[in-house]
Amino acid sequence: MTDQISTPAGTENVTSETPAIQLIGLTKKFGDTTVVNNLTLDIRRGEFFSLLGPSGCGKTTTLRMIAGFSDATQGRILLGGQDVTSVQPHKRNVNTVFQSYALFDHLDIEGNVGFGLKRKGLDKAEVARRVNDMLELVDLQGRKNAKPRELSGGQKQRVALARALVNRPEVLLLDEPLAALDLKLRHRMQVELKEIQREVGITFVFVTHDQDEALTLSDRIAIMNNGVVEQCGTPEDVYERPKTVFAAGFIGTSNLMTGTYSAGAVTVAPGIRIELPGHPELLDGSTASIAIRPEKIWIADFEPDMVRVHGQVAATVYHGATTQYLVNISPEIQLTVVEQNLVRSRHDDRWSDGDSVEIGWKPEHVVVIG
Amino acid sequence: MATDAMTQARRGRSVEGKPKFAVAFTALFMFILYVPIVVVVLFSFNSKKSLSVFGGFSTRWYQQFFHDEALLSSLRASLLIAFVAMLASIVLGTMLALALERVSSRPARITGTVALIPLVTPEIVTGVAALLFFAGLGMKLSLVTVILAEITFSISYVAVIVRGRLSSMSDEVEEAARDLGCTPFQALRLVTIPTILPALIAAGLLIFALVFDDFVLAFFTTGVDPQPLSVRIYSEIRMTISPAINAVGTCMLLVSVLLISLSLIVPRLLGRKDSSLDLISGG
Repeated sequence: MTDQISTPAGTENVTSETPAIQLIGLTKKFGDTTVVNNLTLDIRRGEFFSLLGPSGCGKTTTLRMIAGFSDATQGRILLGGQDVTSVQPHKRNVNTVFQSYALFDHLDIEGNVGFGLKRKGLDKAEVARRVNDMLELVDLQGRKNAKPRELSGGQKQRVALARALVNRPEVLLLDEPLAALDLKLRHRMQVELKEIQREVGITFVFVTHDQDEALTLSDRIAIMNNGVVEQCGTPEDVYERPKTVFAAGFIGTSNLMTGTYSAGAVTVAPGIRIELPGHPELLDGSTASIAIRPEKIWIADFEPDMVRVHGQVAATVYHGATTQYLVNISPEIQLTVVEQNLVRSRHDDRWSDGDSVEIGWKPEHVVVIG
Repeated sequence: MATDAMTQARRGRSVEGKPKFAVAFTALFMFILYVPIVVVVLFSFNSKKSLSVFGGFSTRWYQQFFHDEALLSSLRASLLIAFVAMLASIVLGTMLALALERVSSRPARITGTVALIPLVTPEIVTGVAALLFFAGLGMKLSLVTVILAEITFSISYVAVIVRGRLSSMSDEVEEAARDLGCTPFQALRLVTIPTILPALIAAGLLIFALVFDDFVLAFFTTGVDPQPLSVRIYSEIRMTISPAINAVGTCMLLVSVLLISLSLIVPRLLGRKDSSLDLISGG
């Protein structure tokens, strides 16, 4: 599914173009269960890369294999062009921010953040200087001598981040680091995380099940399901042009329809033909799955080139900034339509349940899947 | 809960109100439990030899104790037994706890359960078994056999206490240590052990207190000379009942109370809210 499949780089010609991480045919089995299945992926230097998927999709196992906590059953892992598949965790130039933060309770914040540098044998003054700089970056310079238990969730999260980043690893691995925070704090930390990543320029590999988080933060996203990558691309790619049914359904909401293709249109229900121009690869009589995002469907004020379909409003849900309509275009097919509440509110001239409406979309917003 | 409260309210009692008989019963229980101990402490300061009439305050029995070479050598023997058993059972019990916490195979789970059997085995059974074991091996009973028996008995306690602390420590903590450049052994030394240190200290103090005044195991496994203090006291009062024994008892009581208090206080002093003894007291 990915378009980044490449041959393994030889260690002799490591350049700035060498990906930070190359996973080649990576497989992990626990007994008879295959958790990660023949995964091949390149992660570029300096990018914010997200592994996105539901729990059990293999994203955390993949991260743990990159860190070295879990052995690959098959396949290879290259870090900066070097094969590290069988290298012990403490010898890999990666650091991890754990979901539970995993701070050392017996050490203060300074001790926690300086732990890795001390292991490397840096002299005390250098450790103190770098710890100070890092605590400044995460805005915790005042809490140097506090113990982890005295900190709030957000502060612990920042200590965990600082403790990993201070070692200037080639790659920073983050395992759902924001999952334990409440919504407001999570949004603030997302912004901070992105800023910090830009500032330090280190490759981030971010594991999350939260699609909004992945869309907001990432340069590229790999959507994982059942141990394989369904789609890999920029947030815009995976949102606007989902390539699989799973990808279309997992990120945002999608109106998925399946029908028979013939002469530039898909018949999704008796009498309902959805125009699909510009798809020469589709053969007449073949089955095609199509998806349209709810916000791409208009419910009034159409433009001339739009495809229009008649339907009946089944339900309206007011969301403040938007209103969501469920519109039946046939007994079997219900489309979700989201409209910005720009001028009107639904209390004046909007539609209510049972109203006959016309909905429309631009032909280029219909995405063919698979 | 709500139903409970309503039932109580119907009976004309507040939710917080405790039935009177429970208070009386508890008081009686405490009285029966502690009066003999108070008597021993009180009569250790008796100026008379009598064990029933208090003649006035004196420290003569303590002086007698501190000049009785046989009792003192027993005291030293008991301290030695307790100290060695404490160190050895901490090391072995911690190793057991680490293994049981990390391996989840069926044999490991069975081992985990088997390892806890000494906690519920009547001590007299352990004592007889140890005696038969040493006799079978042709080992001469001495302080060494006492120490060995006490160690086997103590490992379970240490394992339970340390496991309690380990299970509240996320696996990710040790992984974090590996991630930050530790070898497996360094991770254990620099992160795991310091994290569970309060539990180790508490377990150590508890084991010391338990072993120091243990009688049953010591009685079955000790040789002739020197005997552990508890066994020596028993032999002494079988011949003559001397108030000096009250002084010895009071000293032992003091040591035990001190150690148990320390094992409760130390984790709090180290700033951990998880005192390991909570496990035992069920708190």
